[in-house]
Amino acid sequence: MNHRTAVTVEHISKSYGSFQAVSDLSFEVFTGEIFALLGPNGAGKSTTIRMILDILKPDAGRIAVLGAPLNDQAKDRIGYLPEERGLYRGVPVLEMMVYLGSLKGMSASAARRGSMALLERLELAEHARKKVSELSKGMQQKVQFAVTVLHDPDLIIIDEPFSGLDPVNTLVVKDLLLDFARRGKGVIMSTHLMHQIEEMADRLLMIDKGRQALYGTVEEVRQGFALPAVRVEGKGDWASIKAVDHVEMPENGRGEVVLYLKSNATPDMVLGEIASRPDLFIRSFELAVPSLSEIFVSVVQNRPNGKGNGNA
Amino acid sequence: MRKVWLVARQEFLTNIRKRSFLFAAIGGPLMTILLMVVVIGITIQSETDLSRFSTVGVVDQAGVIVQYDDMTLSYEEPPMPMFLRYDDEAAAAAALDSEQIGAYLVLPPEYLSNGVLRLISSTGAPEALTESIDAYLLRNLGETLDPALLERIMHPADMSVRFLNTGRTIPIEGVFGLFMTPLIFVTIFMIAAQTTSGYLMSGVVEEKTNRIMEILITSISPTQLLAGKIIGLGALGLVQLVIWLVIAGGGSLLAQRSGSEMLSSIFIPPDMALAGLIYFILGYFFLATAMASIGVIVGSEQESRQYAGIFSLLMAIPFFALINFFTDPSGPLPTALSIIPFTAPTSMILRMTFTAVPAEHYALSIGLLIVLNLLILVISARIFRFALLMYGKKLNLRQMIGLLRRPSSAALISRAGEGSAS
Repeated sequence: MNHRTAVTVEHISKSYGSFQAVSDLSFEVFTGEIFALLGPNGAGKSTTIRMILDILKPDAGRIAVLGAPLNDQAKDRIGYLPEERGLYRGVPVLEMMVYLGSLKGMSASAARRGSMALLERLELAEHARKKVSELSKGMQQKVQFAVTVLHDPDLIIIDEPFSGLDPVNTLVVKDLLLDFARRGKGVIMSTHLMHQIEEMADRLLMIDKGRQALYGTVEEVRQGFALPAVRVEGKGDWASIKAVDHVEMPENGRGEVVLYLKSNATPDMVLGEIASRPDLFIRSFELAVPSLSEIFVSVVQNRPNGKGNGNA
Repeated sequence: MRKVWLVARQEFLTNIRKRSFLFAAIGGPLMTILLMVVVIGITIQSETDLSRFSTVGVVDQAGVIVQYDDMTLSYEEPPMPMFLRYDDEAAAAAALDSEQIGAYLVLPPEYLSNGVLRLISSTGAPEALTESIDAYLLRNLGETLDPALLERIMHPADMSVRFLNTGRTIPIEGVFGLFMTPLIFVTIFMIAAQTTSGYLMSGVVEEKTNRIMEILITSISPTQLLAGKIIGLGALGLVQLVIWLVIAGGGSLLAQRSGSEMLSSIFIPPDMALAGLIYFILGYFFLATAMASIGVIVGSEQESRQYAGIFSLLMAIPFFALINFFTDPSGPLPTALSIIPFTAPTSMILRMTFTAVPAEHYALSIGLLIVLNLLILVISARIFRFALLMYGKKLNLRQMIGLLRRPSSAALISRAGEGSAS
């Protein structure tokens, strides 16, 4: 990965009256990576995004976008898709795209060519001359995505990229985003779809109540939550293993068991004993690393002042 | 600047294709003119139609009638009916009953001393009939006079009026036009300014409810966006104004051909057109900026229109004082209204029609309008930036004042937009 930074956020805070929306938040987004921003509703994700985009000014801290505080030239190199979607309903698709592309500094002819190429790729070319209001909701979502990336931005900030898309189109958009990252662009993706983050994101930042809750590569975060346990699938009297403290059977219907280790035991010791005993048979053996969903729920539910209710 | 131009162009092109614009710009005035032509046509027709009165009976008990027909004079006459003599009123009444005549005239014996006579008609007396009776009596009464003198008596003055205060010279028939011209002009002006600033407002409301605003302001600054919209829609307003004036001009030409002096005298002098243009631009700018701010603060089409009504009402105040402009255009009320920025655009045009407005009044009213426009632009740009992102919430007065004093206090405001989005 090319580690040039697309966004640097240093100790930003933002309050609305007495309400602290974002508190001393710092992170970096690199070019060439997909960076996931997650957190419960009202955690401060949109405020953070709006501060990066200079829609809101932070009360404290510093933000650099594409190497400098955001200026008009840099704005043209950003593609932003807000969570709440909207287009000019009464305007033909192509005309609207050319207009919005031109506002990002493209020439009209380049915007037209780029729009048609994207519409082809998103299988919308035949609808180019239709008014937006004549398209289905899913098609409108794709047009919205096309508008976001039309000017081939160096930084893409996209809120819930897959909302309203069917599985086929989810795949198309996912490929496009991965393609952007491969081409060295920075992609910030805010989403609640944990499996998408696991599949696509290089690194993540989880915000809770305006503060950093988790930050790092997806793997680092998951390892950080690894339990002193192993997950096995097979047959046998698991509690009889010397290194195992106790056994839990998750209700996921997959016939897995989670073996919690005694304080000084290691997963190797468990595996060694299983291998040496004919009464124990395993089909799979892995470290008990929780999914991002489990980590998310655990972070929100275990924060100091109680359960996350999703509203700030 | 390029982005301002792009926004202006897009706003112009999008709105000029709207059916509602085409209707307002072309259909509206055409229908108005059609209606005027029909109504005035019917009125003129009924007042000049003498077909029911081709023959009029005369019962002359005063002995003043010398000739009963063929009384053509050299001077242009109203169309004359044929006047038929009856010896007594009973005979004339019988002729009226049997529809041989359309009306009859009774000149009592004391007519010469008191001028009182009676006209008996079965279906009213149009102006043309009374005019022709006047002419008929005049000629009979003046039978012994020199024909040239008689003609002068019948038509003592063919005048045009020179208004020293405005320097305009207008044929006497054109005085009606003088009254109508500013009214028509001001009406057109107000409709054009309000249509386009209304588009501006609903455009902003649409972009805000659509959330496309968030995308726009990451491409262009709120001030540039506002400026682009005002310019684009201002150009649209001018186009509308020109279309209306061309149609009105066409209508006036048509009226001239149809021979209606009343209608053909409606014309717009060049100085009024120039002042109209200046005041249109300034007035429109004020209205548009105010409406854009209302749109962005209120965020719902219906509610915005209610607030916008207040501004329209402000501009329409001079109409309520119309009589003052006619009777005393330099009086305190017309003078004040033509200087106060809200009412200046309409008032000044009304005022300049009827009096020569001192140059310092123009300077003061235009200067104040410019100051007001700059002020509202600064206020709007600030409000625009922060109100853009508030969804489902309105800025209250305290927040607005806070914003004007300290732009960063927008933090207080933006929280409203945060709840659903963060």
